[in-house]
Amino acid sequence: MIQAILDAISLGGTYALAALGLGLVFGVMRLVNFAHAELITISAYILVVTNDLPLLVSFIIAAVVTTLLAVAMELLIYRRLRGTGPAIMLIASFGLSVLLQRVYELIFGALPKSAAIAPWMSGEVKVAGASVTISSIATVVITIVILLIAGYLIERTSLGLQLRAAAIDFKTARLLGVRSNRLIAAAFAISGVLAAIVGFIVVVENPQVSPMYGVNITILALVGIVIGGISSLRGSALGGFMVGVILSLLNTFLGNARVYAYSWLFLLVLIILLVRPGGIMSKANEMERV
Amino acid sequence: MSLLEVNDVYSGYGKVEVLFGISFKIEPGKSLGIVGPNGVGKSTLLKTIVGEIQPKSGAISLNGIEILGKGPEDIVRLGLCLVPEGRQIFGGLSVAENLQLGLTGRQDKSTSKKALDKVKEIFPVLTSHAKHQAGMLSGGQQQQLAIARALIADPKILLLDEPSLGLSPTVIKDVFDQLKSIISNGTSVIIVEQRAHLVTSFADETLIMRNGKIQARITPEDAKDELKLKHAYFGSDN
Repeated sequence: MIQAILDAISLGGTYALAALGLGLVFGVMRLVNFAHAELITISAYILVVTNDLPLLVSFIIAAVVTTLLAVAMELLIYRRLRGTGPAIMLIASFGLSVLLQRVYELIFGALPKSAAIAPWMSGEVKVAGASVTISSIATVVITIVILLIAGYLIERTSLGLQLRAAAIDFKTARLLGVRSNRLIAAAFAISGVLAAIVGFIVVVENPQVSPMYGVNITILALVGIVIGGISSLRGSALGGFMVGVILSLLNTFLGNARVYAYSWLFLLVLIILLVRPGGIMSKANEMERV
Repeated sequence: MSLLEVNDVYSGYGKVEVLFGISFKIEPGKSLGIVGPNGVGKSTLLKTIVGEIQPKSGAISLNGIEILGKGPEDIVRLGLCLVPEGRQIFGGLSVAENLQLGLTGRQDKSTSKKALDKVKEIFPVLTSHAKHQAGMLSGGQQQQLAIARALIADPKILLLDEPSLGLSPTVIKDVFDQLKSIISNGTSVIIVEQRAHLVTSFADETLIMRNGKIQARITPEDAKDELKLKHAYFGSDN
C-alpha cells in the first residue's frame, strides 16, 4: 500500500513537472509545444550516453544541453513565427517534434539505447514495515523539492509575477513594460530545466530510450494542463499531478484490467471537463466582476 | 520641443487603413481629449502611439526621441503609459500584485516604494483591498487600480482609453477628479472617449475625430457652444 501511494505521488509529481514546463511556454506564447517531448528525450539520451561519468556531472550535462535546445527552439523557430497565428505555431511545434525525433534516430539509432542509471536506486528500504524502492522515495523527494523551488520562483519573484501576468494577458503585460523576448526565452529555459529533470526521473525507472521516448508523458501532461486550467500555472501543475496520481492508482488497482487504465483515465478527464470546461482552477476567473 | 508629437500618421490593420494623416502635439502638464463616434479610429490611434500597431507612415516622438518602431515595453520605459479600454487588470492576481507589475516599466527602481505609497495616497481604496483578488473589485475600483498601476511606472504622459466605460456618473466624477490631481502633479494626460461632454470641458484641448481624420480642435470655451460641438462631432449635415 505504501509503495502504491509513493508510486502515485511520484508519477503525479513527474507529470506535474512536465505539465508546468508546458504550461510556462503556453502561458507566455499560447503555444502548445509538442517538441517538449523531445526535450525530455534528449535529457534521457544524454544521461544514458554519459552514464560512465559521475551521476551529478551526467545530469548537469543533460540539463545544460536540454536547456540550450529549449532556448534554441525559441530563438531559431518560434520567435521567427511569432504573430503568424496559433495554427501555424502549432503545426511548427508538431513539425519540430517529428524533425527532432528523426534527428535523434540519425544520431542514436532507431533501436532503444539503454544503460543502468543509478542502479542503487532500484534497491529497497523498509518504511513503516513495508518494502519500498529507493527510486520511488527519491522521485517523491526530487519532485517535492523542484515543485517547491518552482512554486517560490513563480509565486514570490518578480520574474514569476511577470510569467503569471503574461499567462493571463500577454498584451497588457507588455504595456506595463514586461519584455516579451526576454520573458519568453526565460520561460523556454525554465521549461528546458524542468524537462531535463523529468528526463532524469523517468530514465531511472525506464532506461530504454528511443526517439519517441518523451511523447507519451508529454501528451498526458497536456491532458493535465487542460483539466487543471490552461491559463493557470498552478492549474497546470495540479492537473499534471492529478493525471499522474490517477493513472498510477488505476495501474495498481485494476490488476489484470490495467490495459484499460487509459480508457478510465480519459473517461474521468471527460467528466472533469464536462463539470468544469475551463479546468479545475478556472473558478477565480469565472468569478471576476467586469 | 513638445512632450509628444504625432506627425502625419497613417495606420491600420494589415491592408485596412484606419488613420489618415493624424497630427497633434501635447505639452508637459497639459491634457488632451480625443473624441468621436464608435469606429473612427480613436483606439487605433492610441495603439499606434504605444507601439502595439506599427504605422504605415508618419512620425511619433516622445521628448524628442523617435518612438516609431519601438515595442510597448520600450515605450513605457521612455515615459508613456496606456490604461487600456476595459481596464485590463489581471483579475486572477491580487491588487498588490497588479500594482507590483506597474513597477516593471519604471526606470528608477530605487524609488519604487515611494511610488507605491504615492499611488496608495491618491487611491486609498487600493490599500484596504491590497490582498483581494483584483477581479473582485467594483468597476470603479478596477479603473482606479488600472490608473494607479500605470502611474507607478512614473509616466510623463498617461493615455486613457475610454476610462468612463461601464462606470456610474458618480464614479466617473471621482475618476476625473483624480485625473485632475495627476495633471496638477505635472503628468500630461490624453483621454479617449466616446462621450464628448466628459472630455471637452475637462481637457485643455479636444480633438474630434471622424473617418480616421481630425475634423476639429476645440477648447473648453468652444465646447460651451453646443451647436458648434454637435457640428464638429457629427458633421455639418447633422
